[in-house]
Amino acid sequence: MSNPLEILLLDDEAIVGKRLKPAIEKINCNVEVFQDPQLAVERINEKEFDIVVTDIYMDDMDGMQVLDIVLKKSSRTKVIMITGYAMISLARDAMEKGAFDFIAKPFKPDELRVVIAKAAKALGSSVDLNTLLKKQER
Amino acid sequence: MPKTGPVISEALENENDSRETSKAGYEHMGDIRKAQKELLSRRHFSVKNQIYLGNSLLFLAAMIMVIVLIINNDRVNNRLKFLEFVDDFSSEILQARRYEKNFFLYGTNLNDAIENIHLAESIFITESEQFSELLKGQRDRQKIFAKIGVYKSLLQQLYQHEQQEKKGLHTTPFAKKIGLKLRDYGKDILATSNAMINIEKKAIEKTLSHSRYIHISSFLALLAFLLINTSLLVSRIYSTLNRYATYARRIAAGDFRLIYPRRKFRDEFTDLAVAFNEMIKEIDTRENILIQTHKMKAVGTLTSGIAHELNNPLNNIMLTAHMILEDYHDLSDEERIDMLKDVAVETDRSKKIIRNLLDFARESKSTMESLDLSKLVADTLHLLENQIRFSGIGVDLQFMENFPKINGDVQKLQQVFVNLLLNAIDASTKGNKIQVIGRLGDTSESVKVSVIDHGQGIPKQIQSSIFDPFFTTKVKGQGTGLGLSVSHGIIAKHGGSIKVESEEGSGSCFTITFPIINFPGINTFTF
Repeated sequence: MSNPLEILLLDDEAIVGKRLKPAIEKINCNVEVFQDPQLAVERINEKEFDIVVTDIYMDDMDGMQVLDIVLKKSSRTKVIMITGYAMISLARDAMEKGAFDFIAKPFKPDELRVVIAKAAKALGSSVDLNTLLKKQER
Repeated sequence: MPKTGPVISEALENENDSRETSKAGYEHMGDIRKAQKELLSRRHFSVKNQIYLGNSLLFLAAMIMVIVLIINNDRVNNRLKFLEFVDDFSSEILQARRYEKNFFLYGTNLNDAIENIHLAESIFITESEQFSELLKGQRDRQKIFAKIGVYKSLLQQLYQHEQQEKKGLHTTPFAKKIGLKLRDYGKDILATSNAMINIEKKAIEKTLSHSRYIHISSFLALLAFLLINTSLLVSRIYSTLNRYATYARRIAAGDFRLIYPRRKFRDEFTDLAVAFNEMIKEIDTRENILIQTHKMKAVGTLTSGIAHELNNPLNNIMLTAHMILEDYHDLSDEERIDMLKDVAVETDRSKKIIRNLLDFARESKSTMESLDLSKLVADTLHLLENQIRFSGIGVDLQFMENFPKINGDVQKLQQVFVNLLLNAIDASTKGNKIQVIGRLGDTSESVKVSVIDHGQGIPKQIQSSIFDPFFTTKVKGQGTGLGLSVSHGIIAKHGGSIKVESEEGSGSCFTITFPIINFPGINTFTF
């Protein structure tokens, strides 16, 4: 079993963090949740995360800026964009800027977990979704 | 337009009475029917009738004058004839007296004198009947007649004596005695006829001057009558036309108040008023359709933003629901309750988002009410939140404290601000700021709201046409060219005005001025 993945989750909707934190922790990840992009950026500057999940439209700063900052800090970090304002042009912009993937709201916790697993694989790490799925079946 | 001043102030006076009842601003079919009925229920007195009546009276007056003149003329004629008669009579008497003298001097011509006095008598008998009035009645006539009779009988006495005594009669004392009497009577008759001539001459002069007076005064009276008749007619037509010019100007400016009866009678202009009201109804209906059409376009623009905004609460609900399903058995009761509460709150949030848009889109009956513009603008900004967020534009809302309330239609005014703000967003680029400033107007009875952007600005040469319907600078399919025209119409109905200041490259400022107290009701056009 590899070290847990370090994940930062940024969304100005409080419920997103509240629900996704336990969901992701179940697949052996450490999750830090932020609602305020400024605080999140400060934390990113302090610590290198494996994966950053960020919303795009937020009041003070948008997800695209966060994406730039993360990639500048550490190019190996996988950035997953989530947004309610899902438009093809926006997704394309994000992908061109180097985002790992793009998830449109509303999504199920599993959709994010699958993308995280993919990102983990790309990082040379692995996330075991099977145990979780089995658990759900049980 | 200084001319419209009094009309407007009059309108405002009426307003104060009708403000209570003027809550229906736009769809007022009932009011139109009432106005038409009131206009037509008055007594009919047409301009045509006034012309006929005036001319008939004029003809009547002229006829009376002609009759008076004819009567006067007759009178003069009569007097002249009388004068002629008196003159004839007096000349016969004079002749008789001359022969009478001859008789007393030479004893001749007695026959001639008798003949002349006969003639005089016959003239008097035949003609005096005709002029009895001028002879001052029967008694005077009898008097003169008696004198002539005495004169004649004296002459006849002489004649009888002459027949008996033949020659030398005129020298006898008897003849001399009669001669004295004859002289007295002759003088008396002549004096009477001379006096009559004098009196008649004066009377004729008087009648002639009277006739002159009648001529001049009837001419002046006719002139005065014509003047009064014409001025009544002209003022009636002219003032009414003037009023209609005012109405037309106001309707053109978007003020669709109905025309109500103002005079106690109806005429041809009433038909015009009725037609005007019909026209106002038609224009109003069409404008409402236009407003609604344009609103649906704005709703279309807002819908994509709203749909995206809905994704947030929906996502929260979805995540929460799935986590409850996933961890149901591992969760404590408190946690489960907390999560379900979240679901409840988020469904409520979704409902509000949709309700906002539906409220805006709904075609409801308009009502005028006292409203807080700062709240209305804040609500409008909320409706446009997504558009603002997408375009990365900041909005700065500055309303002065205790902003005065105005009377207005919330829905329609919200549409105006949606139009202005969407335009401002379109004109701006990312990072720009839009300012919405509310402050008191130039007069204490008005407030101003300015929507300012720092975008591309509007070229000078098209600034005058931006409020025209179907004028657009946007690409085909992007704009209807109705936004500003519809906004202008709505503001006009609120008794306000909208102006633009813009400089190419540095942005535009749209300023709306609203009256605080007075806004046009619907019962304020009078006629």
